[in-house]
Amino acid sequence: MKKALHYSLALALASSIVLAGCSSNNNDSNASASDSSKAASGTPTNLEFWTFNELHQKFFESMTEKWNAAYPETPIKLTATTFPYDDAHNKLLVALQSGKGAPDLSDIEISKIGNYLKGDPQFVPLNDIVEPVKDKLVMSRLDNYAKDGKYYGIDYHVGAQVIYYNKEILDAAGVNADTIVTWDDFEAAGKLVLEKTGKPMTTVETTDQWTYWPMVVQHGSDFLDKDGNVTLNDQGNLDVLTYLQKLVKEKVAVAAPGGFHHAEEYYGFMNGGGAASIWMPMWYMGRFTDYMPDLKGKIIIKPMPVFKQGEMRSSGMGGTGTVITNQTKHADLAKKFLEFAKVSKEGNVEIWKQLGFDPIRTDAWTDPAMNEVNKYTDYFGTGIFTFLDSLKSEIAPTNIKERTPAVSDVIKTKAMFQALNDLKDPKAVLDDAAGSIK
Amino acid sequence: MSVRRFSPQTLLLLVLFVILGALALFPFYCLALASFKPSKELLRFGLNIKLQADLLSWNNYSFIFSAGGAKYITWYKNSLVITAVYTVLCMLLSSMVGYGLAMYRFFGRNLIFIFVLLVMMVPIEIIMLPLYKQMIALNLIDTFSGVILPFVVSPLPIFFFRQYAAGLPKDFLDAGRIDGCSEYGIYFRIFVPLMTPAFGAMIIVQALASWNSFVWPLIVLNSGEKLTLPIGLSSLVTPYGNNYDILIAGSVLAIVPIMLVFVFFQRYFVSGLTVGGVKG
Amino acid sequence: MKWMYSQRLAPYVFVLPFVLSLAVFFVYPVLSTFIMSFQEVLPGQTHFIGWANYENLWDESFYTALWNSSKYTFWTIVVLIPLPLVLAVFLNSKRMKWSGFFRSALFVPALTSVVVAGIVFRLVFGSLDASVMNSIRHLFGFETINWLASSTTGMLVLVILATWRYAGINIVYFMSALQSIPDELYESASIDGANTWQKFWRITLPLLKPISIYVITISIYGGYAMFTESFILWSGNRSPNDIGLTMIGLLYRHGIEKNELGLGSAIGVVLLTITMVINVIQLRLFGLFKKED
Repeated sequence: MKKALHYSLALALASSIVLAGCSSNNNDSNASASDSSKAASGTPTNLEFWTFNELHQKFFESMTEKWNAAYPETPIKLTATTFPYDDAHNKLLVALQSGKGAPDLSDIEISKIGNYLKGDPQFVPLNDIVEPVKDKLVMSRLDNYAKDGKYYGIDYHVGAQVIYYNKEILDAAGVNADTIVTWDDFEAAGKLVLEKTGKPMTTVETTDQWTYWPMVVQHGSDFLDKDGNVTLNDQGNLDVLTYLQKLVKEKVAVAAPGGFHHAEEYYGFMNGGGAASIWMPMWYMGRFTDYMPDLKGKIIIKPMPVFKQGEMRSSGMGGTGTVITNQTKHADLAKKFLEFAKVSKEGNVEIWKQLGFDPIRTDAWTDPAMNEVNKYTDYFGTGIFTFLDSLKSEIAPTNIKERTPAVSDVIKTKAMFQALNDLKDPKAVLDDAAGSIK
Repeated sequence: MSVRRFSPQTLLLLVLFVILGALALFPFYCLALASFKPSKELLRFGLNIKLQADLLSWNNYSFIFSAGGAKYITWYKNSLVITAVYTVLCMLLSSMVGYGLAMYRFFGRNLIFIFVLLVMMVPIEIIMLPLYKQMIALNLIDTFSGVILPFVVSPLPIFFFRQYAAGLPKDFLDAGRIDGCSEYGIYFRIFVPLMTPAFGAMIIVQALASWNSFVWPLIVLNSGEKLTLPIGLSSLVTPYGNNYDILIAGSVLAIVPIMLVFVFFQRYFVSGLTVGGVKG
Repeated sequence: MKWMYSQRLAPYVFVLPFVLSLAVFFVYPVLSTFIMSFQEVLPGQTHFIGWANYENLWDESFYTALWNSSKYTFWTIVVLIPLPLVLAVFLNSKRMKWSGFFRSALFVPALTSVVVAGIVFRLVFGSLDASVMNSIRHLFGFETINWLASSTTGMLVLVILATWRYAGINIVYFMSALQSIPDELYESASIDGANTWQKFWRITLPLLKPISIYVITISIYGGYAMFTESFILWSGNRSPNDIGLTMIGLLYRHGIEKNELGLGSAIGVVLLTITMVINVIQLRLFGLFKKED
């Protein structure tokens, strides 16, 4: 027994030495991003970047290589780390609140940005890299990350809202997608599809906001107004929710299996030809290519229907902004690098090529490089950006404010489910929801 | 094998456990199967649990062990180091405290015990921010020590050892004193062996807890090369799409170390191996 | 050094690691949580707001969360203590064959990553006709239901997930405690003519009391601290009509998702008070604070 004790004590001791050894260690192994900068003349500046998406990390690493090739006199060594989604945001919040430990650059998802705009935003304003190219950017996407006239984040994409039709099902019902212009047309076509094929025209999310929100903003309203006041129960919201509930009651729409359009159950349902359409932002293309392989070549992308002629046919949904925290010691360099990676035309072309997103800089959309063959053109056909360019002036903005996380929460947990699953009176549902937000 | 070898009661028990075992293993079976298929197949038609020989391959696993999976191997190693160090230290320190609380009557005992319960019940989500500030002050941010030390004297095992020791005969304490053992000698030479089954159970449970711990390591660790397995695996899940390939195969492989710990240490609480002291 | 060996000092040496850990790592954070619960915590603008957080606490979602967590705790105690206890006794019995294999099989769920096990659970309890559980309902002539959409079935699935996951761990606790029961007790009971049932009732159960108290206590704590299971089952902290909202889920929603750390701290303090009160009462009932235990 004594032996065992000594052994375990020795182990404990040894391990504490191991531990002590760790604490002085600084990150120097993650150098892959800057290998190509060996020829650089200057000493590389360390920049730390946090994200919640591995693909964003790879994008920034490749942009670092390009930066170092273009500006050998001010090379960058990027230390990028991917954390889990929710926790990446918590971690950043903790670091910003305690005033220590935050990275130079970080990604913040749009539904979380409201938290960071409370009080004094702990970020570096980006006005000097945004304002010179104002006319070339979809500015509504930058307003989401702004407070008091200062821009704090640059988004990866527009997240243009579109509708994806399953052409095979439409053809079976004898419906031509191009004739669906208004939501009334959509409803009529839906009834036809239901009658001819027995399948629902579409699916609606009951525990998320991507079905409802785009329709609301394209109808000229929003959850919050420009000053951040709650408008969740105004007429615009009510019109949309009443319409959606009618579709469900008519069985033209069904609640998405699994509750939302990212549920595992949902992918299987759609892949098997479960419904004739789904409206989601452009970035949903990746879900088709990755999880619904059997629909390849059957999906066509069209503008959203409208409630009345003249309303916008798209909106900017979802998104992730890259910010520079005020704890950085290299604010100027970080800003220039961020401009290079996400504001320049070249950077925006790379965003499409590497990430498959519709970038925020519209003069990139017409670049010949945007028509190169990739997995998205294989799946959906070419001409994605020609189509998008035609919608350029019709992308309705959203109001992202401090109360956005609170509104999102009540939409996801209560309002959608009560109206579209429990089929409660839309007016009562929205009044309740709006009343619960303090 | 002939069924007649078993008595009816045994047979009944076996049937019961076969059913329970099958229920317990079903989700794991689905995952293990999915880990041998391309990720798209798992979701293609809802839950697909058919064995389709033509779809099975080692691709997901060979990817993990190729250059592309280098990250995964790093996470795995980090988790192994943290779990091993944590478990050893935790056993030593927590068992002492639990034993002290069970065996002695001393001023402040109930107060300390209340504090043990209190620390156990403080939700980590709520002390995250101040504890992080504390870590900055102690210079433990982005270190394994920062992950391990705050929780190494853990209330759960303290409480368990306290309860276990409370069930042991106190006569041994007096017997040890008469034999001239010091108080610590009594603990290490008499009670540690008596508590072997408790150590067996706690090593398994605490190694598991450390292996799966998520919230705190994530707050403390910053560098990509120090992240642990649960953090790494969760980072493959995002609102804009999941990387199911590595996620599923990776979590199947993640079972291995603690399963080995379980198989090895469970022998300490199996009948017939009880240390002699208790019988008497 | 001799003073360190005195009988009076020894207990303090034994509990020293805990006292140190408490002082270094927990006193400041716990105190600051209390302080934050009286503040509005904003980057750069933190200030005291008196009892406002505690006054704002009592809304509908608070009661929903408290009710859900209490129900969950109740059911996990009802299921997750007797079942593993009996299974542990079976697994420990000399009649049992392949006990090692079954022990391992029942322990595997505890090892399976919840993140991925959640995928399987969501699909098994899916809302489509083809999901495993709905197919089973069809066998008995029932219709398809949306398992994760109503409060009753949602709670059922949560308790099933908890049972699946934690039964193996509780079996480990009980198995280890069974080893401290001397065989002689059973032998002499047999001589007195006691049958298996009587032995279980008169020897096994009373002698498992200390460990049962432990399991009950951590189940109360674990029940009120439950969050992961709900988060996984509904792919986030957003169950329909809050049917899966728990106390920690509420704390997370305010303290983290909405960045109202002051309100979150107040919820934390209330939760801590509730679990402490329940546990201290329960432990007192079992006589844990008596001088002679």
